[in-house]
Amino acid sequence: MAARAAGAVARALALWRVAAYLDLMFVTRGPQQALGYAVTDSVLSLAAASGTLLLAERFAGIGHWTRHQVIFMLGYAILASGILSVLFGYNVLFISRRLGRGQLDHTLLQPQPLWLSLLTEGFMPFSGAAELLPGVGLLLWAARRLEVAATPGWIALLLLNLLASAAVVWSFSYLWGSLAFWAPRAAEEISSSAMRMMSQLRSFPLDGAGGLLTGGLLSALPAGFVAWYPCRALLGIDPSPYAVAVTPMAAGVALAIALWVFCRGKKEYDRTGSQRYSSFGHRR
Amino acid sequence: MIAPAHNATAPSDTVVELRGVWKVYTQRQRSARLGDIWGTLWRPHLRRVEALRGIDLTVRRGEVVAYAGPNGAGKSTTVKLLSSLLAPDAGTVRVLGMDPVGERVRFVGRIGVVFGQRTELWWDQPVAASLEWKRVVWDIPRPRYERMLGFLTEVLGLGDFCHTLARELSLGQKMRADLAMALLHEPEILFLDEPTLGLDVLAKRNILAFIKELNRERRVTVFVTSHDMSDLEQLAGRIVMIHQGHIAFDGPFADLRKTFADRRRLLIETAGGPPPALSGADLVASAVGRHEYIFDASRVGIATLLAEAGRDGEVLDVETHRLPIDEVIADIYERWQRGATSQDATP
Repeated sequence: MAARAAGAVARALALWRVAAYLDLMFVTRGPQQALGYAVTDSVLSLAAASGTLLLAERFAGIGHWTRHQVIFMLGYAILASGILSVLFGYNVLFISRRLGRGQLDHTLLQPQPLWLSLLTEGFMPFSGAAELLPGVGLLLWAARRLEVAATPGWIALLLLNLLASAAVVWSFSYLWGSLAFWAPRAAEEISSSAMRMMSQLRSFPLDGAGGLLTGGLLSALPAGFVAWYPCRALLGIDPSPYAVAVTPMAAGVALAIALWVFCRGKKEYDRTGSQRYSSFGHRR
Repeated sequence: MIAPAHNATAPSDTVVELRGVWKVYTQRQRSARLGDIWGTLWRPHLRRVEALRGIDLTVRRGEVVAYAGPNGAGKSTTVKLLSSLLAPDAGTVRVLGMDPVGERVRFVGRIGVVFGQRTELWWDQPVAASLEWKRVVWDIPRPRYERMLGFLTEVLGLGDFCHTLARELSLGQKMRADLAMALLHEPEILFLDEPTLGLDVLAKRNILAFIKELNRERRVTVFVTSHDMSDLEQLAGRIVMIHQGHIAFDGPFADLRKTFADRRRLLIETAGGPPPALSGADLVASAVGRHEYIFDASRVGIATLLAEAGRDGEVLDVETHRLPIDEVIADIYERWQRGATSQDATP
């Protein structure tokens, strides 16, 4: 069992290495492209957070969140999104596009489990990393202003929560994206709609939003787990010592549901296959 | 009109075995009438399309099998079934002794697949980078990779464009690179779906020659679909024709011509005058002493036709040709279509 797990990890590392090599080749195909790519992605990710940032600046915070707490949350949200961009590029995250365009066939023709292909094929550590730097920068700057005691334990909890938040977003995209197994044409863009909804709601503190709304944003539309809830726990706004475990647990549940639906969809795909094919967005 | 299938093979030689395979799809039907909108919205009318109707097929190791049929006959469905992309609704599919869907991971490591309208190449990468990616994902040992890369570079002429971005390749170069990708791990069977689609004559000739050599030298089994029958005839010893989900013919190309009439073209040059009337031959063109006929050589002998032509006047020259395979196949499709129409008309 342990040998098998070690084998799987070694295999994943080899696959990530080759994906990183391809990504580096892509980014360095020309100095203008390389620079343009990095600058535009950084500007876009900062622009996405700027609305909340300006609100926090104007009113010296949002609700009972201080300005620096809001900036910490924004950095966290950008970082969680950056992790997904690095790991699941080439529309692996926007799975409904791959399903709707018949591109899953390419993945199924690879002699490895589907989960391993989906985990490693979209690794873009260079072209997908544009969000990581601004995210880390905002997070560190805000943490210093907030005088967070960044012990190794706290940093481990931060990383665990970041991965969990990314897993929640991934699950949400796959949960909705799996609809494309049954309705490839109609649901082709459903992953991007789901992701857009998450990214629009992720930047706001939800305290005082009311039980029903908060409950909804922590269950059916779990945007609260992208940044708000884990930051609340990490910054001690929620005094419960167990609060830091909630996002990882939510991620476990979200992953289980998404994988169950995806596997059901895959069975449907085995039965019906893909009736349409478009190379658009595939390996570009 | 179904020719006997060539199925007498030893089990160890069998690489593809389909037994009673059914594949059924449903298609949503809608009328164009505005008044039907609500009805079809709540109770959609679904049409059952039987793409494959209990087909049996066996392919032996080292064979080159052409798989042909009109649009919508079930060719792509069969290739998907054989390459693990689709499961049958009924019946069994065994390729290389495995269940393609059930044992997908092990199975796809032993096959190569090329879809003419798709590419496995990384679009923004040089061909060499795609080949390196393939080595890692397929876990090909380095010495074997180097050996195969050397072989494929030589026979497919990859050297000319190995460092060119895939997006900048011509169609012919792209197909050569895709073939290299499909063969790098030395598959035992190669599935080719329309491999010559859109290629110019020279590129097509090179690809066909390569596939033939691959089969001859390395005994790779090849299962190829195409609409270009002359390509298939050059490539394959055996043709399987599918029509309305059934295998309508399975045998050598020569037998196909005989089974569906050995149609030939006869050109007669006379000193002038009207074209000679030949019983058993249809006049298709006539101009200044040159007359063109089509006849079925299995029903009327050429000597009989020439004797008849000589009776009407002096024959200066004669030419006879077999109809190109494309025309034979077009006749067959037309006949099938007429058959289907007359069946539809029956109450």
